[in-house]
Amino acid sequence: MPTLTWPTFFARKGAGANRAKDRSQLRVGIPKVLNIWTTHQFWVGFLKALGIASENIVFSSDTSEEQGREFGKGRGTVDCCYPVKCISGHYGELIFGQKKKINILLSPMIHSLPSVLHGHVMDTVTCTRVMAGPENIKAGFMKERDVFAENEITYASPFVSLGDRHMVTEQLHRDLKDIFDLDLEETARAVQSGFQALDTFSAKARQRSREILTWCARNQKPCVLVLARPYHMDTGIGHEIEGELQAHGYPILWLQYLPDDPDLMNWLFEADIRAEKIKSPFDILDVWPSSYSSNTNEIMWGAKFAARCPWITCVVRLSSYECGMDQPTYTPTQKIVEATGTLFFKFGDLDSTKPSGSIRIRVETIVHYMAKYSEGVIRRKLGWLSPNSPLAELSPVTQSACFQMTRDAGVGDQRDSDPSRHRPDDVRCLP
Amino acid sequence: MRQLTTINQMPAPNHYVAYKPRPFKKEERGNVTILYGGLTWKHERLIQGAFHNLKYNAEPLPNIARDDLDAGKELIDVGACCPTIFTTGSLVNLLKKKVAEQGKSDVANKYVFLTAGACGPCRFGQYHESYAMALDGLGLRDFRIFLLAQDELDQSTADEAGLEINMPLSLGLIWGILCADLLTDLEYMTRPYEVNPGQTDRVLKKSIEYLYTIFLERPHQDNKYGTLAWHLLSGYFTRALRVVRKKWDTIEVDHLRVKTGVKITGEFWLQTHEGEGNYNIKRWLEQEDAEVIPPPVAVWLHYLLHPTIRKLEKRNSKGKHERLEHMALHALERIYRGTYNRFRKALANLPHELPDQEELLRLAEPFYHFELRGGEGHMLIGKALHTYHHKKAHMTCELSPYSCMPNTMSIGSMANVLGRYPDLLYAPIEVKGDSEVHALSRCQMILTEAKRRAKAEFEAALKKTGLTVEAVRKYEERHPELRRATYRVPHLGCAGTAANYVLHLANDRGLANGEGKPCLP
Repeated sequence: MPTLTWPTFFARKGAGANRAKDRSQLRVGIPKVLNIWTTHQFWVGFLKALGIASENIVFSSDTSEEQGREFGKGRGTVDCCYPVKCISGHYGELIFGQKKKINILLSPMIHSLPSVLHGHVMDTVTCTRVMAGPENIKAGFMKERDVFAENEITYASPFVSLGDRHMVTEQLHRDLKDIFDLDLEETARAVQSGFQALDTFSAKARQRSREILTWCARNQKPCVLVLARPYHMDTGIGHEIEGELQAHGYPILWLQYLPDDPDLMNWLFEADIRAEKIKSPFDILDVWPSSYSSNTNEIMWGAKFAARCPWITCVVRLSSYECGMDQPTYTPTQKIVEATGTLFFKFGDLDSTKPSGSIRIRVETIVHYMAKYSEGVIRRKLGWLSPNSPLAELSPVTQSACFQMTRDAGVGDQRDSDPSRHRPDDVRCLP
Repeated sequence: MRQLTTINQMPAPNHYVAYKPRPFKKEERGNVTILYGGLTWKHERLIQGAFHNLKYNAEPLPNIARDDLDAGKELIDVGACCPTIFTTGSLVNLLKKKVAEQGKSDVANKYVFLTAGACGPCRFGQYHESYAMALDGLGLRDFRIFLLAQDELDQSTADEAGLEINMPLSLGLIWGILCADLLTDLEYMTRPYEVNPGQTDRVLKKSIEYLYTIFLERPHQDNKYGTLAWHLLSGYFTRALRVVRKKWDTIEVDHLRVKTGVKITGEFWLQTHEGEGNYNIKRWLEQEDAEVIPPPVAVWLHYLLHPTIRKLEKRNSKGKHERLEHMALHALERIYRGTYNRFRKALANLPHELPDQEELLRLAEPFYHFELRGGEGHMLIGKALHTYHHKKAHMTCELSPYSCMPNTMSIGSMANVLGRYPDLLYAPIEVKGDSEVHALSRCQMILTEAKRRAKAEFEAALKKTGLTVEAVRKYEERHPELRRATYRVPHLGCAGTAANYVLHLANDRGLANGEGKPCLP
């Protein structure tokens, strides 16, 4: 028996199972699509906890027509909404477009999402297309031959309910154990790290939004809320419409990272809670009874937030071509926002091509209306809220002026059901 | 949460609130008619029997017409899928008619609309918003629409509710659906072979009317467990189905007609519907020499209650006796299949068996994860593969509404299936409601190849058995029972009825010249 085998011979049983597995050389590609836009920190935290080096976690680029043409051509299997259709280009870029090849293509099928509304709504499941998108896109890379195998890439598509944390370890262990050589214990640790990273990131982003609102409150300046799905943050899908507005000096908030601090929530929603229309600031039953879909729920809640928050004077709604989840929400969101005279603009049917000219023209229109009506909108909404703003101390003069203006305008009277009276044109701005 | 501060400001503004129907109270029951729809006229008639049995006034919506599409499009947000546009339009047109006859106030007080709700990720569960928009458009905000959860038998909340979704009602509705499914199966397997044109439709109508009286006269039980036990154990429905079988005995059929077997799958409403909502595609296929294998609603109900598949729905409601509950659900699933088979037996086992949900799951698994929710989930892929592997039909025609969210995903994934099984004949038909020629010609392309296969299969069966059409005809003259619609042609490995019939006569009835052999590999 060779001497070198002795340690193995006398080793404690099971010692091998506990040794750290070296995954530092594994390279994992993640398509930057759909709900990855709001869960990416989880995946980074999870993979890093498994020992995968940061530089070996590769996200695909933002969506672009070039990406689709170069890497996704001929891989489409069905006509559907652009945010799902464009995933072929992301897969292709990760397979064919990397100087240093990836070993694993990780494209999770996310069934439910972490949400600020969790516990206040019926469910937080994802859109059915978003959930099943990976199966559909995979088919385009396997219909003729197995492109993943040809490129020595392992395809990993775990089914995971990120909104139901108690299930995640088991789900990821079940679907990834053979690919990453995982045991249950280290999966649990990695999942914990993933959620920690995600929570820290979300808290920071929400804090940043609060700072923006605080600045708006102190300076009595308006800001814009973008009411959209997570993937509209992708410059190739949302077409940077909010960037154009920001260039005109208006701060931008995204509904996914609106602040959720109790003081602010109570201030905005206390009248509704007192009137027993809702049970908590995160309850959307008053506007959306079938609160199953996570992103739809948040869009509804964001619309309610915007309708009440004084410094959000304008809401920009983004919606992609053939978005089935957005379709039933078009009218309710507009009605929610406009009920308090808040400006509402919708960019619908967004597709692969960026309509730069028309975006610019519409942005100019938005800017015009914001300049003209924001001051009135802010004062009117302040008139409906308690003077104890958690964002900024308001002077008694401002409070009194807001109260007077709201009363004179006649809006807010419960008997007044004429929607035309709520239009910005009727708001009289104080000098 | 911080204690709320006192508000000393102006009254709150008129914030938007979602549509909420005022209650439908028990004392109104005698004066209010429940409107419902979404299935076939057969299902709706038997459901009406179940409602009438419990002293509800109930009326199905008229069958969908092309005009309903326009009426729906006018009143709801752009981009809805065609089943929603059609059903909303159908309700709108009916309400318009009723308003013209009775006035708005009477319509709002004397009718309520009952439709299925859903809690999945598909927007189907959110279409109450579309109905509410349509009511706004009609100036009928007072009209009441109620959503019925599909997966709970007992949803009774208050004793004074006008509509009590309790055990007698739920079981009446489900049993009505099962019986209508079985008769629909009989209808489609008989009509293509009927010798006297129109006879199947006439017998079908009589059978449904007879079953309506059976549901109308269903005996009442003392409590919900008694009701459940009676439905599961009583011979009341099987006796009635045996009477129906006798009615079908009178239909003469010719099983030697070579028909192309077309399995219909797709989105629930479109696949079930019979009418202009899906371009009358089932009748059109029959005109094109096809034998349609219709999709029973029972498969959907089976999917809804299957414990393995629906485990995810229970993820946040774990009870104390999880294992026991799981076993009970499995037992319930078996009882459900058993009941369906008991009814089939009363009809000489003619209607098709329900597919095994576990098998559908297993077949679809490499292509579509079974926990992916929305629409029919993995079932569409599972059914296409089940049809292919078991030679249940020559082709699968999947009816998918334009912009249907879950269907597009499984159609996309079918590319992977077709890569693996290139000889699987699959026709995904997108239905918009107003592009009939395009849809039917698309189906025609696949149907042409399926017809060729059906013919080749029949000829191969004759060749293998050494039989001729003339020999079979002579044999039929001596055995007239073979030409009855209730004569069961067993499935002997061929997709077509005619080929199976030849094999059956050769192998089981000893008509072959030589030893009976299986038809085709």
